[in-house]
Formats: sequence, structure tokens, C-alpha cells
Amino acid sequence: MSETKSIKEMNKSSSSSLFRRNVRKFMNNKLALFGLIVVLVITIACIVGAVMGIDYSTPNLPQMKKPPSAEHLFGTDTIGRDLLARVLYGGCYSILVGVFCAVLSSVIGAVLGALAGYFGGRVDKFIVRLSEIFQAFPQLVLVMMLVAILNKRGLGNLLFIFVITGWMTTFRMVRNEFMSLKSETYVKVCEAFGMSKSNIMFKQVLPNVMSPIIVSTTTNVAFFILQEAALSFIGLGVTDATPTWGNILNAAKSLSVVTDQWWIWVFPGLAISLFVLAINFLGDGLRDVLDPKQQ
Amino acid sequence: MLKFIFKKLLLMIPMLILISIIVFFGLQFTGIDPINFMVSPEVLSANAENIEALRESLGLNDPLLIQYFRWLGNCLKGDLGYSFTGAPIVDTIAVRLPYTLELAGYSLVLSTIIGIGIGIISAIRQNGVIDYLGRVFAVLGQAVPQFLVGIILIEIFSIKLGWFPAANRVSPGAANPFLDSVLHLFLPVLTLTIGMVAVLMRYARNTMLDVLNSDYIKTARSKGIPEWKVYLKHGFRNAMKPVLVIIMFRIPMLIGGSVVIESVFSYPGIGLTMTNAITSGDYPVVLATTLIIAATMLICSFLVDVLNALLDPRVRLGE
Amino acid sequence: MDTKEIILDVKKLNTSFISDRKEVKIVKDVSFQLKRGTALAVVGESGCGKSVTMNSIMRFTGANARVTAENIQYNALKDGKIIEHHLEKIKKPNGPEMRALRGPDLSMVFQDPMSSLNPVYKVGDQVAESLIQHFGMKKKEAREKVLEMFRKLGIPDPEARIDCYPHQFSGGMKQRVVIAIAMICNPELIICDEPTTALDVTIQAQIMELLKGLQINEGKSIVLITHNMGLVAEMADEVCVMYMGRVVEFGSLEDIFDHTSHPYTQALLRSVPVLGLADGQKLETIPGTTPNPADLKGGCDFADRCPFATDACRKGSIPAYEISPGHRVRCIKYNNFPEVD
Repeated sequence: MSETKSIKEMNKSSSSSLFRRNVRKFMNNKLALFGLIVVLVITIACIVGAVMGIDYSTPNLPQMKKPPSAEHLFGTDTIGRDLLARVLYGGCYSILVGVFCAVLSSVIGAVLGALAGYFGGRVDKFIVRLSEIFQAFPQLVLVMMLVAILNKRGLGNLLFIFVITGWMTTFRMVRNEFMSLKSETYVKVCEAFGMSKSNIMFKQVLPNVMSPIIVSTTTNVAFFILQEAALSFIGLGVTDATPTWGNILNAAKSLSVVTDQWWIWVFPGLAISLFVLAINFLGDGLRDVLDPKQQ
Repeated sequence: MLKFIFKKLLLMIPMLILISIIVFFGLQFTGIDPINFMVSPEVLSANAENIEALRESLGLNDPLLIQYFRWLGNCLKGDLGYSFTGAPIVDTIAVRLPYTLELAGYSLVLSTIIGIGIGIISAIRQNGVIDYLGRVFAVLGQAVPQFLVGIILIEIFSIKLGWFPAANRVSPGAANPFLDSVLHLFLPVLTLTIGMVAVLMRYARNTMLDVLNSDYIKTARSKGIPEWKVYLKHGFRNAMKPVLVIIMFRIPMLIGGSVVIESVFSYPGIGLTMTNAITSGDYPVVLATTLIIAATMLICSFLVDVLNALLDPRVRLGE
Repeated sequence: MDTKEIILDVKKLNTSFISDRKEVKIVKDVSFQLKRGTALAVVGESGCGKSVTMNSIMRFTGANARVTAENIQYNALKDGKIIEHHLEKIKKPNGPEMRALRGPDLSMVFQDPMSSLNPVYKVGDQVAESLIQHFGMKKKEAREKVLEMFRKLGIPDPEARIDCYPHQFSGGMKQRVVIAIAMICNPELIICDEPTTALDVTIQAQIMELLKGLQINEGKSIVLITHNMGLVAEMADEVCVMYMGRVVEFGSLEDIFDHTSHPYTQALLRSVPVLGLADGQKLETIPGTTPNPADLKGGCDFADRCPFATDACRKGSIPAYEISPGHRVRCIKYNNFPEVD
């Protein structure tokens, strides 16, 4: 008993040194560190802004279309709302959309991928076919069709639609990994020990696939933020009452705004681009640290 | 090879049927009375008092499954029904689908050439100037939302410089129709191309690097053939295959992207038709456009499969 | 020895790789000579630098490698005359000078036939490519040559197989095609980098016989990189034993097998299973593991695993001693013999 315990402790200490080495490796990657800092700074700024309850929604017509000044750092929009407040508040929603959808769709993709890859045969065929049908549509078109069918522009609907249309990439990856991992000896050993299938799938095999899942979840955050922005820009995202980065940019559909009120689209545009850029750097850095063979 | 094409074509049929089922039952789900788009509005107003009889004669009281097959039959005959505005949907699509295909097609060709070209140069001259600039471009191109790129291009090239029109596909009464087309297409195509190149370049570079590290490149070098032959004949040909697959996976994004870009440039393609239909609640048009886009996608991926087979003897010989 | 007899003369070859801004020396002061028409076996554990040595000579090392040498001299024998090529002076690894030699003079057979052939071209075209390149042959003419070579190498039904793609060939047949590529321009020196490691044992024997035949019947000089001592005994005229990037022992087949001198070679030979192993005789293993080339101390690299190691072994650099003509050993046990470099 004492021996098994010591082995466990040994594993623990070796895994923690691996963790420390990975942290050091990550810190040495300047771009990744930059990404992490930018992501944190923007997220915290947005949350602080929202918690402080800044006013983002009261129209103030006399103050409309004012360029940046000491009073309104980012200027005001077409109906006089403070743009800084809107960008901060919108950031909360955009980041929420990105993170929520990325995490949930990864979970769905991982579970389905594990099932398909581990069981193979009919289960596999069925789920693969399902994912192919989803993939036959451009994701944005699928989202638009669902928006039309659900006939309501709520945040909840948007999250729901993104999650059920966004799981396929993670699914494909996890499935492929499972297919190659399931013939490994240690899986056979687990089977010989009579472990339950769900135990083998999720406790024994899945941890080996966690690294690529984490990396793809990170980059998916960026993907969903861009997707939401595009949808909101063409006017099919969440309603104007809930600001998101894409929603604010919707004002730039008018050419006169593009030319005369540059601040209305430049600031939210910068916010979204910077955030996505930082997330991508972060994802690349994580990939280098966690999953060096997959470049 | 013929067998391969035939097999792929056969596989498309169940996919199309499945998609049509989703589209049809999606339509039922919206709860809109289908009579509105099965009959042209003139007929409908002429028979206002006996709609129920019309409904019976059109078979709208039949079980859904029968209705589905009848609708499918109509679609195959080229009858997609009527828009809420009264126009036959087929006519709208016949005008607008080619516009979208033009937009997406030119972007696809351009971005493939540019993306693969720069990607391969970056791989051969790893850490050179082009590699470095390419990486910066790729990072930016993937971070800035595509519609924002479009807006910036409009601001620079149509508003400030006035070189290109900011909207539409044709100007009425243009003296030179060809030049007019080029001018209208230039900015939207450029916008879509930028986004696509950013992705492709990076992928082509990494694939080419992988290929250049493989043993058969060493074998090729051991024959004493010139470097350009090593790169183009032995490297490029093998790197093409995975790159083509990635292009196939990106076609949905390209078409999705063109939906947004059509909105930015008020370009009257099928994407803008769909966007407007959703905003105005014109469901028949929404569903018809969805069906058409999905069918286009399937055809595209079929073509890429065929191209892929042409490049790889293992697929071509069916082993 | 004059240049007529020696085909390849390598002196103080050093190769290092740059990774993470650190330079790691993989090949250190390697010197050897290859006599014309003979077979030299380069043996050692995986990672001892034997492949890198040969790849450095052929200049197949990647962009992050640095190759320096006092002398890498290849003496071509053309129409009874000797032409000296100094490979260490050629600047570009894939420039025209190096390319002119690859194929008609020097060629290489790689370890893994599965990945050595380009999957998208017909095998015949891949073999013909160097003929077209070096001799300006027409396609038809080259095809005849390739058919001839396929017949010679024992590829059955060459007329049909010449138009097949690599994936339609078995491993042994693929390796024959790779050898055909190496042989087609009639080179004088063929470097075989573990040519049979990836193949079945029966196919191994066939390929080895083929190579031996080329050496005996056509007077080719062969360098065979391997870690299989059985193959060495069958194939080689001379043997070069490498450990951690250095030549530790070099000599004729008899020198190495019958007068084994370096403790590493002795250990290596004891760890080879042979038929007729006496009852109760155990197969030995070499204690310890190969050190990481990135963190080597001075002295003999084998000292930590060597039963004869003394304090003197761990200091300075260990020279090679010539214990009989042509038999060199890098071990201070033999410091009563004359030093050679």
C-alpha cells in the first residue's frame, strides 16, 4: 500500500514539474504571453465596465455623432449613446457568446467524437453522416436558416444555434484521435480488466485528447466572436437592445457613417480585431506547449 | 475513374434528399400557411372565397409525407414556388445565383493561386522576408472581421479615391459592360480573397514544409535534379492534395462569407436575397435559397473530390 | 595509398545541428577511407551519428546543420583517369556541383522504401528521371534502360510493373526500385542507409545479396550503414564502429570480429544473438544508456558504461591508436601503440 502511494506521489511531483516546464515554455513565447495579457485586460475592462453599471443605452440626441473627446473617449453613436460604454458592455456579450459557445460545442463535439471513434460501426456511421449534413451548409447559412425558423432574435437563440452548428470540427478531431488510440495496448488492458466502456472512454482515453481540445476551444472562441459579429452586422444577430461588438458595427452599414463618423466603426472594429488576434496568439502558444506535434 | 465519379454522384443523392427534408419540415415548423407560396397571389386573390376548396385540390390537407414528395417533385421540375412579393422564386434565383457564383468563384481561384503561391515560397525560403510578411498578413487577415475589411476597402477605394463603385453588380446604361463588371466585382472579390488567402497561405506553407521533409524529396535530390524541379515536380504535387482538401472545407466559409460581403457591398447575389428574405420574413425565399446554396455546396465538394482523385493515383485507381 | 585505390577519403568531419539557438555536435572528427570496389560497414547504436555522417558527405543535412571537414575527397575513375573532387569545398548543398555528382557518381539508398518513393508518379518515370537529367536521354530510350535495370534487379514482369505506382508494390519491390534509382546512372559509390531495416527478414537477405552482387560483379564501392552485426559479417570488407559521433574502432572485418579491441565494440558484439549460443550463456546487454549529445563532458563518451574505465578516461580528448596496420582504436588502453588522427 505504501508503495502504491509513493508511486502516486512520484507521478504527482513529475506531473507538477511538467506543468511548471510548460508554464515556463509558455512564458518564453512572447506572442502567446502578449495574447494572454490582452485577452485578460479586455475581458476585465469589459466586466468592470458592466459591473460599474455605466450607461450604454439611453439615447441622447443632442449629443449624437460627437467625435472622441474627454467626455466621450470613443465619441458617441448615431443616437448619442456613449461608444466607450457600448464597446465595454458589448464586449461582455461578445466574449460571453464566444466562450460559452466554444466550450459547449467542444463538449458536444468531444462526447460525440468519443462515441463515434470508440464504438465505430453503425454508431460512427450515423454520427459522421449527421456531421456531414451539418457541414453541407455554410455554417452562416445554417445559422441564418435557424434564425428564420426560430423567428426571434434573442441572445439565447443565438447561443443555441451556434452550439448546435459548431461542434463538427472538434468532433472530427476527437473521433480521429479515438480511432487511433483505441487500438493502443493500454486500452486493450483496460478492456481486459473489465472496466466499463464509459470509464475507458472518458477517464482513460479522453485525457489523452484534452490538449488538442483545449487548443481548438481557444481558437473557436475567436471563431464564434467573428461569427456573431458577422451575423449582427447583417442584422440577424441579437437585437439592438443588447449591444455586442458586431451589433455596434452594424451602424457602419450606412456609407455616410463610414466616411463621416469614423469613430463609430473604428473603435468597436479595433476591439474585436485586437481581441481575436490575442486569442489566436494565445491558441498558437497553447498549441506549441501542449501539442507540439500538431503545428 | 468513371466508377469513382459515378460513386460520388450517387452519394450526393441521399445528401440532397436529406437536406430537402430538413428544409421542407423546417418550413412546416415556421407555421406559415404554405398556400401563400404555392399559388401565385393573383390566383389567390381571384379565388379568395373558396380557399378551402383550393387547399383540397392542391392537396394541402394530405398527410405531410405526401405533400413532401409532391413538393420535391415540383422542385425537381424547377418550380420552387412563389415569393411573398408574388414573383416566382426560380426567376429571382436564375438572376442572382450566377452573381454569387461569380463572386465566390473568382475569389476561390484568386485566393487559391495567391495563397498557395505565397505559402510555397514561404516554405522554400523559410524565415525569409516573404515568409515573415506572409505570417503577419495571415495573422491580421484572420483577426479582422471580413465585413470590416470590406468597409475599410470601400472607405479607401470608393469613397476617398473613387476608383470603384461601392455597391451593386451593374450600373444601368454602362458604356462598356465588361469594364463595368470588373469594376463592380473588384472590391467584393478582393475582400473575400483576403480572408481566404490568410487561411490558405498558412496551411499551404505548413503542408509544403511537411512534404519537403519527407524521404522522397531526399530521393529526388539524390538524383541530382535541379532544385526547382525538386520543389515543383516532387514537392508541390504532393502538397497540393491536403491543400485541396482544406480548400474544400473552406468553400462553405467562402459562401458564408459571400453572404456577409454581399450585404456590405449591396451586391445582389443569392446571399443578399436570403438576408433580405429573413429580415422581411419571406420564408419561401429563405428556404429556396437555403436549398440552392446547399446544392451548390454539394456540387463544389464533388468537383474538389474529382480534382483530388486526378492528383492522387491511389484514389484514382480506387484502392 | 594512392588516389587510384581510395575512392572516398574523409578527414575530420564535424557536423552540428542548431536547435533552440544551441549548437549540438552530432559528428565529431570522423575520419575514414573507403577502398575502391570494397564494402565498408558503418555500425553503431541508433543515434550514434552514422546516418548523419553519410548524409553530411552527400550534403543531405537540413538548413540547421553545419558541416565542416578538413577533407572530403571523392576520386572518380573515368576512362582510366582519376578526377579528384573536394566535396568539403562545395558551398551550396544543392548547387550545380553537388548535383552533377549525385546520380552518375554518388548515390544513396534510404532506410524506408515505403516513404522513399514519390507516391504520385509511376515508378518507371521516377527511375528514368535521373537518366533524362544527366544523360539527356529521350523518354523512350530511358525506358529501355529502366527495363534493363529492373530485369537485372529481379523485378518480375518489368514491362507491366514499370507503369505501376509505388503503392502497388510490396516493401521489398519498392526497395528494389529505390536501388534501381540509385544504380541507374551507374555510380561508383553507393551509400546504403540501413536499406533493410524496414523489410522482412527473407526480403532482407535478397536485397543484401543483390547489393553484394553489385559490389562483386560490377566493382561498385558500397557504404552500408547498419546496426545489424549479422549483415556486417556477411557484407563488409571493412568496418567502422561509431559511438556518440566518433569513430571508436576502424579495421578490416577480421580486425573487428577476431581482434575486437575497443570495449564498446566488444560489448556490442557480445550483445548480438548468434546461432549455437552455449547452454546457459546469457545474451549480454550494455549497461547504462547512451548519454544525451547535448550535455557531454570531456573524455571518452563511453567511460560511464565501460568496465575498464579509469580516471584518465574522463579527461581531455582520447586519441586513436593504430594497433595493427589499418586497425585503429580510440581507447587509452592501447596507448602503447602509435597515435594516429
